[in-house]
Amino acid sequence: MSIFAAAFGFGLVSMSVIALAAVGFTMQFGITNMINLAYGQVMIASAYVAYYLNRAGVTIWAGMIAGAVFGAVFSFLLNRLVYAPFQRKNTSLLGMVIVSLAISLMIANVLLPIVGYFSVSYQEHGGSLVRIGDIVLTNNQIVIIVLSVAIMLGIHALLRYTRLGKAMRATAANPTLARNCGIPTQRVIDMVWLITGALCGVAGVVAALNSDSFAIANGAGFLITALAAAVVGGAGQPYGAMIGAVVIGLVTELSAAAWSPEYKEVVAFALLVLVMVLRPQGLLAKRGALAAAG
Amino acid sequence: MNTFYATNLLIYAGVDIIALLALNLQFGVSGIVNFSFIVFQSAGAYAAAVLSMPPDSNPDYSFQVYFGGFQLPFPLPWVGGALVGGLLAIPIGFVALRKLRSDYQAIALLVTSIIANEVINNARPFLNGAAGLALVPKPLQDQLDTQADYYPYLLIGLTAACVALVWFISARIVNSPYGRSLRAMRENELAATALGKNPVAMKMTIFVVGGTIAGLSGAILVGYLGVWAPSTWQYPETIILFAALIVGGRGNNLGAILGALLVPVGLEEVTRLMIRMNLGPPNLIPALEWVVIGLCILGFLWFRPEGVRPERRRVFEGSPDVELVESVRAT
Repeated sequence: MSIFAAAFGFGLVSMSVIALAAVGFTMQFGITNMINLAYGQVMIASAYVAYYLNRAGVTIWAGMIAGAVFGAVFSFLLNRLVYAPFQRKNTSLLGMVIVSLAISLMIANVLLPIVGYFSVSYQEHGGSLVRIGDIVLTNNQIVIIVLSVAIMLGIHALLRYTRLGKAMRATAANPTLARNCGIPTQRVIDMVWLITGALCGVAGVVAALNSDSFAIANGAGFLITALAAAVVGGAGQPYGAMIGAVVIGLVTELSAAAWSPEYKEVVAFALLVLVMVLRPQGLLAKRGALAAAG
Repeated sequence: MNTFYATNLLIYAGVDIIALLALNLQFGVSGIVNFSFIVFQSAGAYAAAVLSMPPDSNPDYSFQVYFGGFQLPFPLPWVGGALVGGLLAIPIGFVALRKLRSDYQAIALLVTSIIANEVINNARPFLNGAAGLALVPKPLQDQLDTQADYYPYLLIGLTAACVALVWFISARIVNSPYGRSLRAMRENELAATALGKNPVAMKMTIFVVGGTIAGLSGAILVGYLGVWAPSTWQYPETIILFAALIVGGRGNNLGAILGALLVPVGLEEVTRLMIRMNLGPPNLIPALEWVVIGLCILGFLWFRPEGVRPERRRVFEGSPDVELVESVRAT
C-alpha cells in the first residue's frame, strides 16, 4: 500500500508541474487560436537559462525567475515576429501548426550546438525530507506544489476578477466583437503571450528541477504531457487544463508505481487517445471557451 | 563519382520520391496533415526486415531479439512492408481522422509519432529496442552475389520500377474524379459533405493508400541499408518530407518529385559536402541543416505558399473566366 501512497505524493508534484505547463499552452490556444507546438522547446530553453545562471552560482529560485522572464520575452517576440504576421496573412489553422512545428525544430537545433546532447542537472539539494503519513517529499517538491497552487489561484483571479482577464475572455470568445466593443485586442494578445510565456518558462525550470536531469531531447516529452493535459480537459480552457493535469499527473505516477516508469508518457498518450475517441471536445467543453468557473 | 556514391544517391532519391508521392496524396491532395508519416515508412521497414530475416535463434542473428523471422524470398518482404503500412493506417486513422477537427488531427498524429518511437525504443523483445535491427538481408541475397558489379544496378532498377508504379497509381488517383472529390474536401470539407461526399471515408481510404506506399518506401530503404532503428525514424524526419512538399509544390506529383530532389536529396548532399570541409564544431552543420529546413518551410509559406511548381488550377470548359474567378477569390 505504501508504494501507492508514495506514488500519490509524486502524483501531487507531477500534476503541479503539468498544470503550470498545460495552463499556459491552453491559454495560448484558447485566446490567440494558436496551437504552439514550439512550447516544449521554449520550456527547455528556459530551463537552460536557469541552468547557466545556477552554474554561475545563482540559486535555482532566482534562476526560475530568469527563466520566466526569458520565456515571456521569447514567446512575445515569437508571436510578434512569426505567428502574428502569418495569422494576418490568413494562413490556415493547419498552416499555423506546420509553422509552429518548424519553429520548434529550429529552436531545438539552434540550442543544440550551444548546450550539447548531454544531460545536465541543477546544483541544488532537494532539501530535507518531509513525511506526511506514507507520503515522502523533499522540501523542493513541497515548494513546487505550493508555487503551482499559488499560480493557479493567480490565473483564476486574473481571469475572473480583473479587467484584463475579462478582456482576455472576450477576445477568446469573439475577437472581432471584442475589438468593436473597444477592447484593445492587440494589446490583450501581447499580454497573453507575455503571461503564458512566463508560465512556460516557470514550467520548464520546474519540470527540469523535478526530474533528476534534463537534456535537449526532453522538449518533445514536455510538449506531449502539456498537450495531453490540455486536450483531456478540453483545449483552450484553463480550468480544463488544470483538471487534465490532475488526471494525467495522478494516472501516470500511479501507473509508474504499478507497472513501469519507462511508460509514463505512453500512459498519458493512452489517456489522450481514450479522450479523443470518446469525448473529442475534452472533459470540460460544454462550458465554452474560457468561461469562468462557477 | 564512384558507383557506391551514385547508388546511394539514386536509391535515396527513389525512396524519397515514393514517400513524397504518398505524402502528396495525403497532405497535398486531401489536406490531411499526416505528422506520423514516418511511422508508416518505419512499419514497412520493420515488417520487411522481420519477413526477410531468419529467426533470432539463428547463431548469426542471436545478438538481437525480435519476433518472427520468416526468411521469405525477395518480393514478399516488400509486399509485406507495403501491406503492414496500409494495415497500420486503419487503427491510427480510426482514432485520428474520424471526429477530430483538422488541427487536432495533425496534433494527434504528431503525438502518435513521438509515442510510437518511444514504445519501440523501450520495448526490446519486440523489435530489438533502441539498438534496432541489423543484418537485414538484401533483396535476392541468396540467389545473387551482392558484391557483383551488376548488383547495385539491379537494386536501382527495382527501386525505379517501384517509383514508376507508385507514380502511375498516384497520377491515376490525382487525375480521376475521385481525386477531384479529394481536392474538393481539401478546399472546403463542409461544401464537399453537402454535395454528398463522405469526408471520413475519403480520408480513411487515402490514409490507407498513403500508408501502403509509405510502407513500400520503408521496405525498399531497409533492403538497401540493412539496418533499421528508432533513431532513424524520429518525428523530425516527417518534417523534412513536409518541407520538401511545401518547397516542391503541394497537390501535384511533379511538385512532389521536385521537392524530393531539392530538399531531402539536395540538402543532404550539400550538408555532406560541408561536413567534409570541416566547417565549425562537429554538431554545428547537422544542426544548421535542420534550421535551414525550418527556414525553408517558413520562407515558402510566406513568400510562395504554392511551391516551386504550383498545382495547376483545373477549370472546366465553359466555366467563368479564370481571372474573373481569381479576382472574386481575392476579394
